[in-house]
Amino acid sequence: MIHPQPPFSVLIVEDEAVLAMDLEAIVEDCGHNVFGEAMALDEVEAFDQAQGPDVALVDLNLARGSSGLDVCAYIRRHWPDTAVIFVTANPKQIPGDFGGAHGVIPKPFSRSGLLLAMRFIEQGLSHPPPTGDQPPSFFPAPHIAQAWSAAR
Amino acid sequence: MEQRDDWHLTEAIGHELGRGDPFAAAIRGTRMAMVITDPRQTDNPIVFANQAFQTLTGYSRDEIIGRNCRFLQGPETEKATTAAIRTSIEAGVDIQVDILNYRKDGSTFWNALFLSPVRGEDGAIQFFFASQLDVTDRVDSKRKVEDEVQIRTAALESALAAKTLLLHEVDHRVKNNLTMIGSLLRLQARSLEDPALSRTLDSMLERVDALATVHRRLYQSDDISRFDVGALAETLVADVIASTGRTNIAIASDIEPIEVPSSHASAVGLIINELLTNAVKHAYADGRGGVLSLSAKARDGRASIIIEDDGPGMPTSPVVKKGLGLTLIQRLSRQVSGKTDWSPLSSGTRVTVEFPIGSAVE
Repeated sequence: MIHPQPPFSVLIVEDEAVLAMDLEAIVEDCGHNVFGEAMALDEVEAFDQAQGPDVALVDLNLARGSSGLDVCAYIRRHWPDTAVIFVTANPKQIPGDFGGAHGVIPKPFSRSGLLLAMRFIEQGLSHPPPTGDQPPSFFPAPHIAQAWSAAR
Repeated sequence: MEQRDDWHLTEAIGHELGRGDPFAAAIRGTRMAMVITDPRQTDNPIVFANQAFQTLTGYSRDEIIGRNCRFLQGPETEKATTAAIRTSIEAGVDIQVDILNYRKDGSTFWNALFLSPVRGEDGAIQFFFASQLDVTDRVDSKRKVEDEVQIRTAALESALAAKTLLLHEVDHRVKNNLTMIGSLLRLQARSLEDPALSRTLDSMLERVDALATVHRRLYQSDDISRFDVGALAETLVADVIASTGRTNIAIASDIEPIEVPSSHASAVGLIINELLTNAVKHAYADGRGGVLSLSAKARDGRASIIIEDDGPGMPTSPVVKKGLGLTLIQRLSRQVSGKTDWSPLSSGTRVTVEFPIGSAVE
């Protein structure tokens, strides 16, 4: 297991331009760098970097009918070390195993909610398990929650 | 004459002639179809069938006597039913079943069959006595009702599914719009040079965030008509303190679930948000740390949410500066038929929000 150290590079996959701008600003407020932005699966596939982002924030319903679940599957194949976090208003669409993603941040998110979630995820990735309390703005996937609680 | 031949007497004796056994004559004359079978003969044949039985089945006496009752069965007769009858006969016990039988002309009828063993003095079974009643109308209408219920249930289920889908779609759109409003305000706040303007926009953003939190929680529960304001208060405190980025404000919470009508959710959420942001701005101003206590209880049909800070306390009355915040608190408290009171503590301020749990504002 690779433990990336901050600042992370963060890929933002979101088809609403306003939300993408806001997410970008908040990610930078957290001290991380934006790896890139994509509105749909094909734009994620267009990235040719061999080295993927540390974290991908992925909306579920994307442009041109593409799905965040497919983006997650693509990222898991091409950049297996990237932690995928869904950011969605529809958490119930996520399958039980989260498609291998690390967790979900439900929309609507607040700036503070996102900051807390990012801080918690940062701890979880670079020095697992995270030491702080799990913020109400983030829900880890079952396999991640299990791994973290086993490491405690 | 053998007793076993007595039945044939009833055929010979016309009761209208005033001869014979009146009980036998009654059985002959009744409109209830009846047969008697003799289990001591091979294959338990019918030894007597009254006129009503002949009318019901369309067979004449000659075609009936000497046959086992199963000649009334046909391809659609349920196997489980005939098996049940056979079992009862073998066990020598009563049975009452509805069975699909066939007339001589091939038409079917639902037969409410009552079958009982008739025992002699020694306890041995001498005959089986069976009565048959045509209940085709009852069975048919019951089946029709069942079919109708099934069709209506399917229609209702599909209507419910459509409604649920619509609800999820609307919920999804409301969430997306709330997210968008928050993002727009945040982007605007970033671009402002004037700190006073920035603070105002931040206050608005906090209110939008509070509404977003309410909405998020609203659709997390299965029953969307009720809403837990205790859990909401706890979430809001965590959010508001976290949003300050301050680590020196500890939270002490004592929360019970308080289920209120969902129509109260936004109002209560906004009140709590105003009180919390006030506490952070005034009680913990200039980086001062402390403990913020939150309690939420339900007593005697009233919700009571208490927020206590251990700050310097409010210097003068009125305890909260005039402004939109105070107006919002007062108006929203009234909206939920409640009130919000401030009281000074030896160190700090206590704010109590009280409102009746049951009274939905429709």
